[in-house]
Amino acid sequence: MSSASVPSKFDVIVVGAGPAGSSAAYLLAKAGLKVLIIERGRGAGSKELYGGKIYAPPLREVWPSLDKEAPIHRWVNRERISLVSGDRVTTIEFKLGRNVAFTTYLTEMAKWMAGKAIEAGAILVDEVRVDEIVVEDGKVVGVRSGPDTVYADVVVDAEGVNRILLEKLGLAEKIKPETVALGIKEVINVGNKAIEERLQLGEKEGMAWFIAGDVTRGIPGGGFIYTMKDTIALGLVVHVASAYEAAKKGELKQSLPMMLEKLRIHPFFSRIWGDADVLEYGAHMTIEGGLRFMPKKLYMDGLVVVGDAAGLLLNTGYTIRGVDYAVYSGKLAAEAIIEAFNNGGPTAENLSVYEKKLKSSFVYKELVKHSGITRVMEDPLFFTKLPAIVNSLLSKLYEADYEEPTILEAMFDSFQEEGVSITRFLLKMLQVVSKL
Amino acid sequence: MSGETRLKPIKIEDLLQRTVYDVDEEPHIEIKDERGVPKELVLLCPCGCYSMVGERLLYSYEGCLECGLCRVLSEPWGLRWEYPKSGRGVQYRFT
Repeated sequence: MSSASVPSKFDVIVVGAGPAGSSAAYLLAKAGLKVLIIERGRGAGSKELYGGKIYAPPLREVWPSLDKEAPIHRWVNRERISLVSGDRVTTIEFKLGRNVAFTTYLTEMAKWMAGKAIEAGAILVDEVRVDEIVVEDGKVVGVRSGPDTVYADVVVDAEGVNRILLEKLGLAEKIKPETVALGIKEVINVGNKAIEERLQLGEKEGMAWFIAGDVTRGIPGGGFIYTMKDTIALGLVVHVASAYEAAKKGELKQSLPMMLEKLRIHPFFSRIWGDADVLEYGAHMTIEGGLRFMPKKLYMDGLVVVGDAAGLLLNTGYTIRGVDYAVYSGKLAAEAIIEAFNNGGPTAENLSVYEKKLKSSFVYKELVKHSGITRVMEDPLFFTKLPAIVNSLLSKLYEADYEEPTILEAMFDSFQEEGVSITRFLLKMLQVVSKL
Repeated sequence: MSGETRLKPIKIEDLLQRTVYDVDEEPHIEIKDERGVPKELVLLCPCGCYSMVGERLLYSYEGCLECGLCRVLSEPWGLRWEYPKSGRGVQYRFT
């Protein structure tokens, strides 16, 4: 950071050029503030990995030109849910009536968002790892990287899920395994024509596909498929605490990448990509239960926390919304900072407006509304037993050689085979439905 | 479509070859005290960076995907865990 062209004092320093950081930086720079974004990766996006789909409406509030300019791959037109037990698969498909979410590479999208911030006047310095948020007299005054310190009136912490800086600062505690999930992902080079033919999609149409069942070998979590323009993102998300418990008990027989490879070569799913090349493999941690992950305070004198670092991600088990939540929190932080500058400066009291804005926004309300779901989804009854029961029931109905059971008989037998009481199951389903 | 061909799983060493890295000369993660790092990471680390050699748990940083899982599962005194500096480490392109 010794580069001569970079001044040593800014109005705002944003740590991390991800969705939350770039959204805040864009709006702050647009309002005329001197903004520095510091990114540890080589250019924005090079450390980004997510599932594959982004909900557009919150992003349009920040960038009205989103639909025209952003590197959108496909608009999600089809949602599928599959329940897998060995070779048996039950799939539900929904064709959407309108476009809400799109697929893209977050690596590309983050570059676009950071580019908008730069266009608006923010300075991006990459390949710099921030080592510490600098505090003087109880007030955040800047950030340190190695021997260099850069000063600013406000620091926006958008460091992501591994909130090393917040832990050092004492604002967040060490991450508990219960509150996170691990995502691993392969990018398969299928080709646009093959994707469209094999999944019956139009030119710009995309599919999001959630896979539950024994693909995660009894560990709460699931698989996902997203269609990009020319590639397919195939991945698994597993609850970290449960995976760790299973490994300790010796119940985990294979590594996580091998689990994903088994899904890639699964006889049903592999028909979509065949032996197409795997272009890239990656892993990233995500949040399970945003409120449990959230630091006690999202602001202090001279600091606001946004995006994953703030726990602002919704994980319902079958879908994860992170990017739009991050972007929206960046927007609210920028608004609060601008107001603070107009009201005498970024004191803790003035920045508390950010938390107030957040708490009355859809971001926080949704997190509260769905907060019960995490624990329910972590129940093996849901992830392991439900797919097994459904597939067992359908196999009794459709795989009978001569005599078919009645639906009721098949149902009782299926529940019995899986050792689940029907009353307990129905109660559980009621619990799930009420918390979604 | 090659639904009829028998596909084989790719080993983690080969899977990591698909990903671009700019490996730093110095490790960004080091085991400080094995007692504070769970051996289960041999199975759980998504890049297979942990391995047992005899009784010893070893870590090699070259294939690290910087996910932070080992940091979450280890004691703070067990690991020195930092992100790579100067833009080094994994260079995602299509994720």
